[in-house]
Amino acid sequence: MKRTTITAVIAGAAIAAVALTGCSSGSAGGADSSKGAPTLSPDKKVTITFAEAMASGALKTELEKVTKEFEAKNPNITVTLQAQPDYGTLKTKVDAAVTAGTPPTIAQVYGDWAAAYAQSDVLEPLTDYAAADPSATDGLYKGIKNSLYIDKKLYMWPFNASTVVAFYNPELLKAAGVEAPKTWDDFATVAKAVSKDGVVALPMDPGSSSGPAGGTTVYELMAQANGTPVFKEDGTPQFDSDAAVKALTTLVDLKKAGAVQTGTNYPGETALGAQKGVFDISTSTSFYYDQQAVGGKFDLAVAPVPSAADGTRVNQINGTNIAMFNKATDDQKAAAWKYMQFLTEAETQSEWAQATGYLPVNPKTLELDDMKTYIAKNPYVTFASQDLANSSATPPYAWVEEASGDLAAALQSALAGNATPEAALKDAQDKAEKAMAAAQ
Amino acid sequence: MRLSSWGTLRSPIAYLFVLPALLIFLVFSIGPTAYTFALSLFKWNKFNPAMSQFIGLENYKTVFTGAGTPSFWSTLGVSFYFVAGMVIGGTAIGLALALLLARGGRALASARTMVFLPHVTPIVATSLVWVWIFNPQFGLANLVVHATGHKNIDWLGDSNWAMPAVLIYSLWHELGFVTVVFLGGLTTISTELAEAAKLDGANGWQEFWHVTFPQLRPVVTLVLLIESVGSLQAFTQFFVLTRGGPGYTTATLGFQLYQQAFVFSNTGYAAALAVVLFLVTAALSILQLRLQGGAAEPRSLTRSLSRSRPRSQPRTKPRTQSLRKANP
Repeated sequence: MKRTTITAVIAGAAIAAVALTGCSSGSAGGADSSKGAPTLSPDKKVTITFAEAMASGALKTELEKVTKEFEAKNPNITVTLQAQPDYGTLKTKVDAAVTAGTPPTIAQVYGDWAAAYAQSDVLEPLTDYAAADPSATDGLYKGIKNSLYIDKKLYMWPFNASTVVAFYNPELLKAAGVEAPKTWDDFATVAKAVSKDGVVALPMDPGSSSGPAGGTTVYELMAQANGTPVFKEDGTPQFDSDAAVKALTTLVDLKKAGAVQTGTNYPGETALGAQKGVFDISTSTSFYYDQQAVGGKFDLAVAPVPSAADGTRVNQINGTNIAMFNKATDDQKAAAWKYMQFLTEAETQSEWAQATGYLPVNPKTLELDDMKTYIAKNPYVTFASQDLANSSATPPYAWVEEASGDLAAALQSALAGNATPEAALKDAQDKAEKAMAAAQ
Repeated sequence: MRLSSWGTLRSPIAYLFVLPALLIFLVFSIGPTAYTFALSLFKWNKFNPAMSQFIGLENYKTVFTGAGTPSFWSTLGVSFYFVAGMVIGGTAIGLALALLLARGGRALASARTMVFLPHVTPIVATSLVWVWIFNPQFGLANLVVHATGHKNIDWLGDSNWAMPAVLIYSLWHELGFVTVVFLGGLTTISTELAEAAKLDGANGWQEFWHVTFPQLRPVVTLVLLIESVGSLQAFTQFFVLTRGGPGYTTATLGFQLYQQAFVFSNTGYAAALAVVLFLVTAALSILQLRLQGGAAEPRSLTRSLSRSRPRSQPRTKPRTQSLRKANP
C-alpha cells in the first residue's frame, strides 16, 4: 500500500515535470515595444494600482496628498495605492503578484529587482514613452538618469532618491577636541578619539547574507574612496580588490579599538539618540528619524559623507525608482506614465522633498522659491542633492542582490573576528561570481 | 473485525464522509508537495514560468556537492547544532522544571502559568524584544554579564555567541510547552511505585532514574519528536534575530530555503532544499516513532519489577524484605 502511494506521488510529480517542461518551449510574454507609447483619451476612465512602501508617517500622507492632486488634475484616472509596511514586504508581495500573473500597474523597485523582472520579460520598457518628451529625462540629475537604464534600455522612472550624509553629535566631537572629518582617513582618526566612556563613534548594521544594510553602504563608500567600487558598472563584483580589503581592514581596526559597534535595527540612530554614539552615517532621509531619536537633547549636525583622501566626493544614490508591468492594459500604461511624470515635476518634487526628506530628482526643483526657503532651514539638502549628479546607484543586475548579501556576510565575519578581511572578501568574491554566472 | 473494516472501506458513503478532509489535504499538502518536487527539477523562473528550463537533478547535485551558498552541508550542520541544543536543553530543563512544579501548591500553580506564558506569545514580537535584550550597547543581557564581572558580549554579532543567543531565546519560548507536556505525563504515572521505591530505601535520584523516568519514557519520546521536528523547521527567530549571520553561522536549512526561494528567487534550488528537508524530517520522525514503538512499554521498569517481585505479590512483603536489607 505504502509502495503504491509513493509510486503515485512520484508519477504525479513526473507528469507535472513533463507538463512544465512543455512550458519551456513556449513563447515568452512581453510588450511589443515597436508599437510606441500608448495614449489615453481624457474621456476614458481608468484605474491604476501602485505598489509602494510609503506606509507610515509623512511618507504615507504626502504620497496620498500628491496622488489626490494628480487625480484632481486628471479626473478620469484613479490611482489605487497599495502601501506595504517595508521594502522586504513590498518585494514579496510584488513578486507574488507577478508570479500569480496579476502584477500591479506600477511598483517601487530597486535596480536589481527591476533587472530580474526585465530579464523575465514582465516589465514594460519606457524608452518609447520618454521619447515623446526628452526634456523630462534630460532634466534629471545625471546620476539619477543613469540609474534608470537596464542594458541601455529605459525601464524605470525616478521616485524617492537620497544620498548618504553623516549625522553627528557636535557636542561629543567638541568634548574630544576634534572636528567633523573631511576624508575617510580623518574619520578613522576622529572615530578613535571620540570613542571612550561607553561612547562608540559608529554603531552600524553591516547587513547579512539576506541583503545589505546601512553599514554595508558605509563600507562600499570607503572602498570606492580607496579607488575601486565594490561593483563595476556592468555589475561585476570586485570585492577582493586592494581598495576593498583596505576599507574592511580599517573597519576591523576601528572595531578592535571600540570605535565601531555592529548591531541591527538602525543602531546608529538609537545610539546617537542615547548619546552613546557619535555618528550615524546614513541616507539623507534619516534626518527626520535621527531628530526624533535625539529629541532635542542636542542640536543634531549634518556633514557631507567623508571624501576620498584627495578630496574627491564619493557618494551613492539610494532609494527606489518606479517600474511598469507589461500586463497592464494600454489605457493603464498611458495613465501610469502620466502619473509617473507628475511625480517628477518640479512642483511635486518640491512638495514631496519638503514633506519627506527625500531629495528632488531634478535640479530645477532647487530653483523654486519654496524650496529655497526649505534649503535655508536645511542646508544639508544642497550638498546631499549635489551628490546626485556625480554618484551612481548600485548597478541594476539581477545577481547584485545575492552578491550584496555575500558581501554583507563577509563584513559580518571579518568584524566578528571569524576571518581576516582578505579571506572574508575572497570568499565573498567567489560566491558573488558564482551568483553572477548562475543569473546570466 | 478485519472483514467489517474492509466492508466499511468499500462503502461509497464512507468515502463521502472523508472526502472534504481528503480534498483539503490534497490541495494544501499533497499537491504542493508534488509540485515542489517538480519545481526542484527546473531552473525555475517564478516570474515567467515559460522561461523555466528543465535541468533534471542538477539542483540536487548543487545540494549534495555543497556547491550552493552557503553549502548545504554547512546549513545542515547549523541546523543540527540548533536541534541538538533544543532537544537536549529543552528536554532536560523542561523535565527538571516539571518535576519542580509537579509538587503542587498555589505558588507553584502560578509559577506553571508563568513558565507557560512565553509559549503563547508571538515569535516575531518576542524575537524583536530579544533583539533589544541582546543589544551589545544597551541590552539587558549585557547588564547581567557586567554584573558577573565579564566584558561586553556582542550576542548577535559574534559568531561564537549568535547561536547560543538564538538557543536562549528559543528555549525561553519553548520550555513552557515542554514543561506542560511533562507535567501531564507526571500526573499519569503511578505514585505507588515511587512510594514502594522510597520504602525500599531509594534516594531521590534513584527514585527518579529507576521509577519516574522509565514511566515517562513515552512522553520523553514524544517531546523529542516534537522538539526535533519543530527545531528543524524553526525559521522566525533566525529571520528576526540574526538573519542567518554573522556570516552564515546561523543559516539553518529552513532559513536558507526561505532565502533562496523568496529573497534570491532561486526557486528550483530552494525546492530541492525543501525536498531534502522534508526527507530529513520524515526520516527523523520515522526513526523516533520506531523508537517510541519499542519504548511504548516501560520495559526496564517491568523487568525490574518482575525481578523484584511478582505483580500479584502482596505489597507488604517487599517492605519487610527491604527493612531486612536495611537492618541486617
